[in-house]
Amino acid sequence: MKNRVLSLLLTGTMVVSLAACDGGNGNGGGQAGGGNEGGGNAEPTQEVTQETFTGTADEIEGGSSSELTDGKFAETRHITVEIYDRGNDGGSDPTNNMYTDYIKKGMLEDHNVEVEFVKVPRWTETDEINNLLAAGTAPDICLTYSYPTIQTYADMGGVIDLQDLVVDNKNDLPHLWDWLGQTNMYWDKSVQDGTLWALEGKRANNNRIVTFIRKDWLDTLGLEEPTTREEFYNCMVAFRDNADTLLGKDAKQMVPFSVSSDVGWRAALLIESFMDPDVTDKELYTLGFDDRKLTQNGTKEAIQLLNQWYNEDLMWKDFAIAESNTEDDMMKAGYVGAFMHNWDYPFRNGEDSINANLQRNVGPDAKFVAIDCWENSKGEYVKYCDSTAGDRKIFFPTTNDEPLASLLYLDWISDPEHIEYLQVGDEGVTHEKTADGAYTFMPATGDAIMNSGQNIDMTITCNGLHLSTDELTLASLANNYPPCDPEDVAKANEVACNGKKPTKNAKITSIEAETGMGEALNGKRDIIYDTCMSCKPEEFEANWEELMADYLSSGGQDIIDERTEKWEAQYGDKVNLD
Amino acid sequence: MARARKQEVQKEKKPLTKEELWIYVKRYWQLYLLLLAPMLYFLIFKYSPMYYVLIAFKKYSIVQSVAEMPWAKNHGFEYFLKAFKNKDFINALRNTIFLNLLDIIVGFPVPIIFALLLNELRLKFFKKTVQTVAYMPHFLSWVIIYGLALQVFSPNTGLINMVIEKLGGETIHFLDDPNNWVKTYIGLGIWQSFGWNSIIYLAAISGISPELYEAASVDGANRFQKMWHITLPGIRPTIVVLLILALGNVLGSGFDRPYVLQNNLVMKNAEVISTFVYKYGIKGLQFSLTTAVGLFQSIANVFFLLLANWFSRKMGERGIM
Repeated sequence: MKNRVLSLLLTGTMVVSLAACDGGNGNGGGQAGGGNEGGGNAEPTQEVTQETFTGTADEIEGGSSSELTDGKFAETRHITVEIYDRGNDGGSDPTNNMYTDYIKKGMLEDHNVEVEFVKVPRWTETDEINNLLAAGTAPDICLTYSYPTIQTYADMGGVIDLQDLVVDNKNDLPHLWDWLGQTNMYWDKSVQDGTLWALEGKRANNNRIVTFIRKDWLDTLGLEEPTTREEFYNCMVAFRDNADTLLGKDAKQMVPFSVSSDVGWRAALLIESFMDPDVTDKELYTLGFDDRKLTQNGTKEAIQLLNQWYNEDLMWKDFAIAESNTEDDMMKAGYVGAFMHNWDYPFRNGEDSINANLQRNVGPDAKFVAIDCWENSKGEYVKYCDSTAGDRKIFFPTTNDEPLASLLYLDWISDPEHIEYLQVGDEGVTHEKTADGAYTFMPATGDAIMNSGQNIDMTITCNGLHLSTDELTLASLANNYPPCDPEDVAKANEVACNGKKPTKNAKITSIEAETGMGEALNGKRDIIYDTCMSCKPEEFEANWEELMADYLSSGGQDIIDERTEKWEAQYGDKVNLD
Repeated sequence: MARARKQEVQKEKKPLTKEELWIYVKRYWQLYLLLLAPMLYFLIFKYSPMYYVLIAFKKYSIVQSVAEMPWAKNHGFEYFLKAFKNKDFINALRNTIFLNLLDIIVGFPVPIIFALLLNELRLKFFKKTVQTVAYMPHFLSWVIIYGLALQVFSPNTGLINMVIEKLGGETIHFLDDPNNWVKTYIGLGIWQSFGWNSIIYLAAISGISPELYEAASVDGANRFQKMWHITLPGIRPTIVVLLILALGNVLGSGFDRPYVLQNNLVMKNAEVISTFVYKYGIKGLQFSLTTAVGLFQSIANVFFLLLANWFSRKMGERGIM
């Protein structure tokens, strides 16, 4: 009897412990299909019902919901909202800080809606949101930079069509409509069937990319700030040849012009300066699937120039294999002479910003300043930049049971008063006011730390500083990067605004050839750029031809053809948009 | 009782009758009950998920169950055809086989040789220390190994290249030249695993009867002869089993090792099936295509396993099934 009891006990223990194992070591076919199980749980496909809808919103009377009294739900509703986790050193908890508390409190008071934040890593957000969507556990309000991701899930019936929702509840969403306007509300609306899968968050500031150079190095060598490609090249050569003067015993670490493995982004201004100044909207669109200008005319010559510079030891040799933080660390340590990046990049992150680090590590004069030196064949300094739309997209997956409460959240977050508070915080904690009323920002501590510049992660409908008046915004913008010099920021802003050319929306919504191709083609694009930039000069031609042929035959040409065909179907002979 | 004893003597010859089987089960039921638990584990966690392999033959949709999804074109084989028309997949397949074969050819003998050498050491303390140091890298994740590799191999600031440069030589691109990358990949793989893999050989060696060595000594065999004629044949069954398992995995590949080590400049040699599946499937959302690839990979692996097993039996070894 004793034996039987013992054996039963043993069996029981074994069953329990095995059940606790999660079978995580399956391989091959099993894993490739992983993450699909959620498919069965998701809600049924939403049928497209707006086939006949063709008019614009002007003709349509907005409605309001009967569920609300005084903007409030009778019973408390609960929604989940995606928030980026940037993993900053010493940042605040992205889901629980001074600003999330402000939002939670406000939403509960104004609309009786309980808000819960769900963090998603910023730098892998597309992968992460894919996983969440595939598992059916995505937040009610999702945010992504990748429209193809939304389109893919919309095609599978996984995304809510917002068209009727935003129109029917228009009267309950005054701030949202005011702030986003027709452009951003309807940017993603399909011309064909009137569906609207996503709302476009608005760029308060559509500055894109600027070139930065070490001012103190120029001064040491008695050089002027370069204003042409030629002068820039001469500066880089001077940096290289004077490495001993500039870096002393670290001369070996010298990188005159730093470009990471994302060449198309980190050399964008150079690449774009090789494009035809009179390029038509049609050409921009049909050759524009690749947002790094790979297939545009002129790019080959640009990369060939980079290849020449690379082989003259003007560029960073370890770019392809280095880990992601290495380059920033090199800039902070003072080894880098020039680079291109977001217009405010060296000023970001307060005490941990590149310029603040430089001053600590190298000396009080050490800093990066903005320069404008990429003239095109007409001598213009064009900055291709984005429209106010086309930035972050907000969408609701079909697992969202509270679309109205979610829209009210977007409305609340678009209220100018709320935007201003989220961006400036409390007086004496995150900012002080100057005599003329402009905000001076100061490094915050603890809960009041903003994990992203101007708290853009919180204000998902607004990217960039947006205060009650434009003057206040401009005056405060330059003060927004303590401890960096406001004048440097103002100059970078000025350079970024010089010659802006915003993207237009061709309103051709879905190109079938693009579906699911993004990852593969972007991967190939980076391989082309990286390989051709760093190969031996005599191999450039062969590499470029071979890799481009592979890119085009792997789907690139199909996309160009379909884009051309659809453009011509929609606009006929017209080559420029209004 | 007598009958039972008689039955035990004969049980290998004659099949059991129903009645005898019952007695047998009744006597050992606890053992069967214990067996039930692992069987359930396999059914629930290994066999039932296989249902989702059907995705390879269907047009995947996130909101439908597997049964509801429509069949893919070409009698369900659309995605297999698509895969084999895809240059990137063919390239990944080629690289997978190439890298795995290299791993076997170069890497398989290393732990055997290491175990043989270790076995010859007299100083126990030294032997233990070497063994421990050798299998330590097994516990490092590939991310960390890559971090170490960068410090040692990177073209500008890596240790080796700095030495080479000081001596007046040319920089060697260990990590960002496609051909050198293969060598680095194989080398790092061996470095990480040879110590750990040698444990099983050491265990097999310790199972060899000391009498054989004594007899050989009496016959005047030297150490090398003993190693060649006693130790190696003694561990031959172990070697064969491990070789079969390795060959069975010639189309499989771990994910983290290639993924962590690859970069844009070496992709033509570094893309393998697992990273291809990740890129196209998880990141590119082509679930059906990549499930098809995964299924193909598994079936090909089984084929190689059976082939290797059949071959080893032909050679007079026992095989694994």
